[in-house]
Amino acid sequence: MIGRGIPGSHAATIAIAVAALMAITACHPMLAAESPAPPGRSARLDAVSGFWGVTSYRLELSQGVALAVSCTYGGPCEKLVATSDDPAIAFVRAASFQALRPVGYAGNQQPAAAVVIVGKAPGTTMIRLRSKDGGRDVVVTVIPPPAPLATAAVAREPGSCPRRS
Amino acid sequence: MRPLLPSILLTGCAMGGGAMHQATLVGQCAAADAACSRRHPQAPIAIGTHFYPEVGTELAGTTTPSLVLESAAPDVVAVEDGALVARKAGASAVLISTDDRSIVDFVHVWVAPVTKITLARRDGERIQGAIALAVGEDVTLVPALWNGAQRLSGDGEARWTATATEPATAAGPVSILRDGSADRRRLRARTPGTTTITVALGDITATVDVEVVP
Repeated sequence: MIGRGIPGSHAATIAIAVAALMAITACHPMLAAESPAPPGRSARLDAVSGFWGVTSYRLELSQGVALAVSCTYGGPCEKLVATSDDPAIAFVRAASFQALRPVGYAGNQQPAAAVVIVGKAPGTTMIRLRSKDGGRDVVVTVIPPPAPLATAAVAREPGSCPRRS
Repeated sequence: MRPLLPSILLTGCAMGGGAMHQATLVGQCAAADAACSRRHPQAPIAIGTHFYPEVGTELAGTTTPSLVLESAAPDVVAVEDGALVARKAGASAVLISTDDRSIVDFVHVWVAPVTKITLARRDGERIQGAIALAVGEDVTLVPALWNGAQRLSGDGEARWTATATEPATAAGPVSILRDGSADRRRLRARTPGTTTITVALGDITATVDVEVVP
């Protein structure tokens, strides 16, 4: 029913805009980190938000570190497939999560849909997750590990303060 | 990488639970071996040594499937013939996957250099002074690897030597016998005298004086 005082053409425009908004904001799955980072290393997943909500994700990952990431869309994503633009920087593989997650409001449960992303070499690449419920892109930045403490040698010259080399 | 076969002869202790809470890496140690260098849980692996893991899963309603290990940073930790080989200081995820390469879990493994070696008896008691043996007796010594105050895990091919001080003969009063492991040795007292036993892994050494009495 069209509200009083709103011409039909305007109502149709509003309906299309609402539908477009729903398509933009609601038809993409959400991602979540499912494992912790090891001490002194990075494995941080951040949502990149825009006016319409989450537009993409970014992930900072230390070299040699892995992170499990789950995909949900009112429940575990269906037919989840993930690819990396440059597996030499970061590769992604399917994860076998046994945990059951609720689906909808009918009390059903299904295994969590997840992938594991692994940092291989410093650099930036894109991980693309696609599912029957939509897709998400994750910009992955792999950073090198911190230098071992032993390499920070302390040099001392006679009559001077210690100097780090 | 290769499938890991479970062994009923070995029991272990957790090296680390998986980040996804579905699997563990367990060091292969006999239940009665208190000083096993692979036993210490959550310890970094010493550079240049091997860690032999048993992998178990904690999945409801299923036994452990055939699993393979894969290192995220092979220059830090390599997987060779089912063993983790520590190559350089750092950390690397060790991925635990099924045959179809889907990841069941992963554990971040740390590698550290050896800064100190201590010796212990096989029952785990640390050797802090000289050892006296009667002729015919023997004692098994196990080197423990450390990075500062941090105990390290891993099996290294340690070099064992004896320097006889009395009598100063080439044979010496003590025989150093292998017992099948890479690092442990059994010392057998043969003739009265004194000797110094030296254990070396790379440039790091430990010594203990042994006196053999009639």
